[in-house]
Amino acid sequence: MRVIALRELRRTWELLLLLTFRDLKLRYQDTALGFVWSLLKPLLLGGVLYLALKRIARFDIPDYHLFLLSALFPWTWFSASVMLATPSFAHNGNLIKKVRFPRFVLPFSVVANNMVHFLLSIPILFLFILASGGRPSPVWLVGIPLLTLIQLGLLMGIVLLLASLDVFFRDLEHLTEVFLNLWFYVTPILYPLEWTGRLKPLFLLNPMSPLIEAWRNLFIHNTLPGPELWASIAFLAAAAALGAGAFRRLEGSFADAL
Amino acid sequence: MLSETSEAIVLEQVGKRYLLNLHKPDSLKTALLHLPSVLNGRQRWPFWALDDISLTIRKGESVGIIGPNGSGKSTLLRIMSRIAPATRGKVTVRGRVSALLELGSGFHPQISGRENAILNAVLLGLSLREARERMPEIVEFSELGDFIDQPMRTYSSGMYVRLGFAVAVHVRPEVLLVDEVLAVGDAEFQSKCFAHIEKLRAENVTIVLVSHDLWSVARFCDRVVLMMQGRVAMDGAPQLVIHEYLSRIALLTSLPTPLPSGAPEI
Repeated sequence: MRVIALRELRRTWELLLLLTFRDLKLRYQDTALGFVWSLLKPLLLGGVLYLALKRIARFDIPDYHLFLLSALFPWTWFSASVMLATPSFAHNGNLIKKVRFPRFVLPFSVVANNMVHFLLSIPILFLFILASGGRPSPVWLVGIPLLTLIQLGLLMGIVLLLASLDVFFRDLEHLTEVFLNLWFYVTPILYPLEWTGRLKPLFLLNPMSPLIEAWRNLFIHNTLPGPELWASIAFLAAAAALGAGAFRRLEGSFADAL
Repeated sequence: MLSETSEAIVLEQVGKRYLLNLHKPDSLKTALLHLPSVLNGRQRWPFWALDDISLTIRKGESVGIIGPNGSGKSTLLRIMSRIAPATRGKVTVRGRVSALLELGSGFHPQISGRENAILNAVLLGLSLREARERMPEIVEFSELGDFIDQPMRTYSSGMYVRLGFAVAVHVRPEVLLVDEVLAVGDAEFQSKCFAHIEKLRAENVTIVLVSHDLWSVARFCDRVVLMMQGRVAMDGAPQLVIHEYLSRIALLTSLPTPLPSGAPEI
């Protein structure tokens, strides 16, 4: 029995890799700029936000472009994953109804795909920081894997929950889209967490707040996460428990519901 | 050890109930509007697609499942392949199962036949290494030649199913569940598919075949199960069961019996 379980585990991993690479390949196939789009999208958003908030609204934050980009890149990974993975069971009804395979690879491959795009955007951030006179330190070599793992775990829990529920309530994919837009503004991406003042405890209920702060501190101040690390890990554990619970309960009925 | 026993599939009093919704709560709005009834299930109408099915299929046996549309044949395969759970009863399946409910599940038109074939093979149960090792055989069987490295959107529908079938039969399961997918390709390719199924039978693979093609059921199966309205109506030797089915159809449609005397085999 153990041999079979190991074999299945390995096959699941291979399936995840195959799906992820296929989607990476498919994403910008037949486009002139290809992968550059993945960098261009957050960069363009960053450019407009910089113009609006630094030049016009006169935010008093030094190196605001770095401040923005160091949060926008991980946020893009997060929001693109949630948005694209939520309908990943519902939109693959045909596969789910016809083939027996570990279904969780569908949302997970979306998360993995967007993670690759995020990791490839880090060198751009590195160059921006160098150009602005900053000095990235070897602390990055510890911080990046650590925060990547935490965000990956958090995302896996969230998308497993949302994608499982979406099979039964298809409105969820539209709700998610709207909600993500709002979520962007209540996460300290455009402004630092300190600016939230008395509302700060409320903002700390947002699982992305400590994580975004941690990314920013790592990239700009070369510091490893302190207390915000534990907050992030707590959110990860909650998301994983909810996601796994919902998936286990609902997976059996996927084929019947789609 | 479980695998020592000679039974490949055992169904004990299996039932499958679908709840058909009067108010379809597949959106949040309707679900909220009808929340009380959704929660207590009163607005849902139970429909037993399978009712009290007990069936034992021995290792190496080829069993055909026939019956009119809506009699539960495909649901039965879904339960056996564990794609959907049974509502009642016990399902035991031993050995590596491959369910061919559709050819080329998950094929993507934008990538090459080769990449699709590998992904499809892993989906159906092979490891990546096994899938790569079997690619030459798969390419040869599919007769696609150089087209294998072209994106699948350039394929004709015949090429598409040929690749789907080639992958499916090279997964080499111990239990093969097939739903109406044998009628693919031209006559020549079909006979190749049938020859391959014969080979699997000779290798002692357990085969469950759902088909409307009574001729191939008669040819490939040791035993035939007739399904009627979610129940097993008859289970036995192919000739007898097929004859029973045809005479029931003849009764239902009050046509003269469709079997002229002296019809071959059936």
